[in-house]
Amino acid sequence: MRFDLLMQGFANVLQLNVLLMVVLGVTGGIMVGSLPGLTATMGVALLVPFTFGLPINQSMAMLLGIFCGAIYGGSISAILIRTPGTPAAAATLLDGYPLSERGEAGRALSMSVFASFIGGFSGALIMTFLSPQISKVALKFGPPEYFALAIFGLSIIISVSGNSILKGVMAGIFGLTLSTIGLDPISGYPRFTFGQMDLFEGPAFIPTLIGLFALSEIFKGVETILTREKVDNKITQLLPTLADIKKCWKVILKSSILGTFIGSIPGAGSDIAAFVGYSEAKRTSKYPEKFGTGVIEGVAAAESANNACTGGAMIPLLSLGVPGDAVTAVLLGAFVIQGLRPGPLLYRDHMDVVYSVFAAMMVANIVMFIIGALGVKFFSKVITVDRNILIPVIFLLSIVGSYAMRNSIFDVWVAILFGILGYFMQRYDFPASPILLALILGPMAESNLRRALVISKGDISILFTRPISVILLGLAVVSLISSFVKQKRVEKRLAQEESEAAFK
Amino acid sequence: MRRKIALFLTLVLVFTVVATGCTKPQQAAQEAAPKVDFPKQGITAICPWAAGGGTDAVLRGLTLEAEKILGQTITVVNQTGGGGAIGHSAIMKAKPDGYTVGMITFELNSLPPQGLVPFTYKDFDPLMRINMDAAALTVKKDAPYNTIEEFVAYAKQHPGEINIGNSAPGSVWHIAAGLMAEKTGIQVEYVPFEGAAPAVTALVGGHIEAVSVSVPEVIGQVEAGDLKILGVMSAERLPSIPDVPTFKESGIDVVFGTWRGLAVPKGTPDEVKQILMDGFKQAYDSQGFQDFAKNAGLGLAYQDAAEYAKFLEANANDVAEVMKKLGLAK
Repeated sequence: MRFDLLMQGFANVLQLNVLLMVVLGVTGGIMVGSLPGLTATMGVALLVPFTFGLPINQSMAMLLGIFCGAIYGGSISAILIRTPGTPAAAATLLDGYPLSERGEAGRALSMSVFASFIGGFSGALIMTFLSPQISKVALKFGPPEYFALAIFGLSIIISVSGNSILKGVMAGIFGLTLSTIGLDPISGYPRFTFGQMDLFEGPAFIPTLIGLFALSEIFKGVETILTREKVDNKITQLLPTLADIKKCWKVILKSSILGTFIGSIPGAGSDIAAFVGYSEAKRTSKYPEKFGTGVIEGVAAAESANNACTGGAMIPLLSLGVPGDAVTAVLLGAFVIQGLRPGPLLYRDHMDVVYSVFAAMMVANIVMFIIGALGVKFFSKVITVDRNILIPVIFLLSIVGSYAMRNSIFDVWVAILFGILGYFMQRYDFPASPILLALILGPMAESNLRRALVISKGDISILFTRPISVILLGLAVVSLISSFVKQKRVEKRLAQEESEAAFK
Repeated sequence: MRRKIALFLTLVLVFTVVATGCTKPQQAAQEAAPKVDFPKQGITAICPWAAGGGTDAVLRGLTLEAEKILGQTITVVNQTGGGGAIGHSAIMKAKPDGYTVGMITFELNSLPPQGLVPFTYKDFDPLMRINMDAAALTVKKDAPYNTIEEFVAYAKQHPGEINIGNSAPGSVWHIAAGLMAEKTGIQVEYVPFEGAAPAVTALVGGHIEAVSVSVPEVIGQVEAGDLKILGVMSAERLPSIPDVPTFKESGIDVVFGTWRGLAVPKGTPDEVKQILMDGFKQAYDSQGFQDFAKNAGLGLAYQDAAEYAKFLEANANDVAEVMKKLGLAK
């Protein structure tokens, strides 16, 4: 750790032209992130060619700005219109949207920007001070460890099951079944594709996400488009109240550390981090039964975890030359185009660049906080629009977003199909998040289990004889049992309320 | 107020549409136009791989220069999925008027033998080959073998113990490893990952023994001292790593690698093709693209349309034969 270099890094970033790039990047990132179907990865990828001619400081400043901005931006639409702008925001809507339905959109948004800032900034700090150490742990992750991580992630399904474990597990198993569609990850054999090339990679993730959450909500909204009374969302605050911060600070810190660590493992991204953070907050909460009905800690946990992931994902990129997630894979390309190769050599030969990236990451998070906080009032105007205008516009954006991911009409049909499915699931009180988790983690679990077995020549003990994998599998069991117990409390409370209602 | 919001939302929508490249070429008035007057409007370039990947970077780097030469905007559209099948099929189905060009990649020849796709190289008119990157055998720095011969000897003493990572089942690097094993008579395990980068990461972490991916994909870790390259499957030694021998030098006759090039749908008029070929060749020769290729470690290997067409045919036959032997073909 060299403070002189860090100061030099700040001096590099705090020049007017570089700062302007950060502001541009963050603003663009928030827009890209808040639009369904446009992800952080796409935002960064589309801008990389325009950075060819820029000096490394400016190009990194802009790209990191987009990265941080987009991960935060996803929460805006998740909270306001139940449409996760990026997969990372899928956990944010669980409590964010109920809050906004209750007329507390401002509270949720200001908490989201605050938590995103603390998460992102902590991630940047951890990356600055602990990169080499953390990357050593990340390298220890081989196929058995990834399998164990995926199983741990799947154990979260219980905590996002809403009102019924049974329905949550059903949705999860449905999602796992869906994730088997496509080419077999090890043998390449087509499964359930019916000869359709469009199904070779299974149902595309983003359109599925848009369908399950955004379109299903639109279909539901159409029912009451003319009759429903408008919720009065008074926005009086740009920052969360002290009371809210007091409530959430523990959750935010915990999520920030969890998020950074998950981000630092190549292949595990901000979507998983957000769910893990959310589930952990719920598991350790005094009132887990209230989660999902609009608890501010839910928003704080998910948003701090997914933004912390940005710093985490940079760790293996900078210190090993291995991208931590899809966005950093694109950033790797941006470095290479500049004639720089991230990895141990970058640390040796271009310390100045490494520290400029650290500084840019911190500055990007500060800029994101300022723009985000100033924007809270502006963003939340969206829900004051008449529903008969708003709903068609969201519908249109969702359709365009599903198309945009792969320029594919097939994906639009996928979104509509899952929209209809999601509508009926809402109607019969099935949670949609387990499907999502299963779609993210199912392929990870399957391919790594089989990879591990190829390596061990079919000996299953490889999963239980390696320390990290044993710890993760143990955590999965603990998380499963404790969230099962907590979830039972939710079901009990609901049963009680019902019987009380029956007495009246 | 309400109007302002409506205006804002409209703007957002317009932005989305523009930003996401809703760029189906407006081909309507084109047919009547005299053929020499090309291009009169923007060109679409289809990339069968995702934005941000290697193929995408090459195509964007090239079109950035070609735009200046052809005097029209060239919009890169990523039509991804199906291991390249979706994009190649989109290029094939596009209107053959020159306003859609596409990047074709190795998978054009490895997908058909698996019996999964309705196209072959014959459905395309090639414009030019851009690059070829040979497969390389890369192992951990502290591995007990330093040459291809020692590796083969070790593998023979320890049959089935060496796990070679690659980027996907049936991928170019999977085939490369299979080819090597077949020619040397060694018995190894093939471990497919979700791309070359995760495979290289697993090698650095010591979870597998070797990878058979291309040099640019491992060079960073090699320079950092974590990995070493035992040999490359190119015809000649590579200028970027002159100390590393080819497989041929070690008496193993394997020359194998991936390639990328430009093509248009079959039936595009010759005059139009000529203009595209000249334009893209100039873009290829430009300082901007050459610098880009150097930084990216790209193995530039230009071939004109005629040579490229011959290459495609020979390559298709080779690949199909190898895949059959490895049990990867239908």
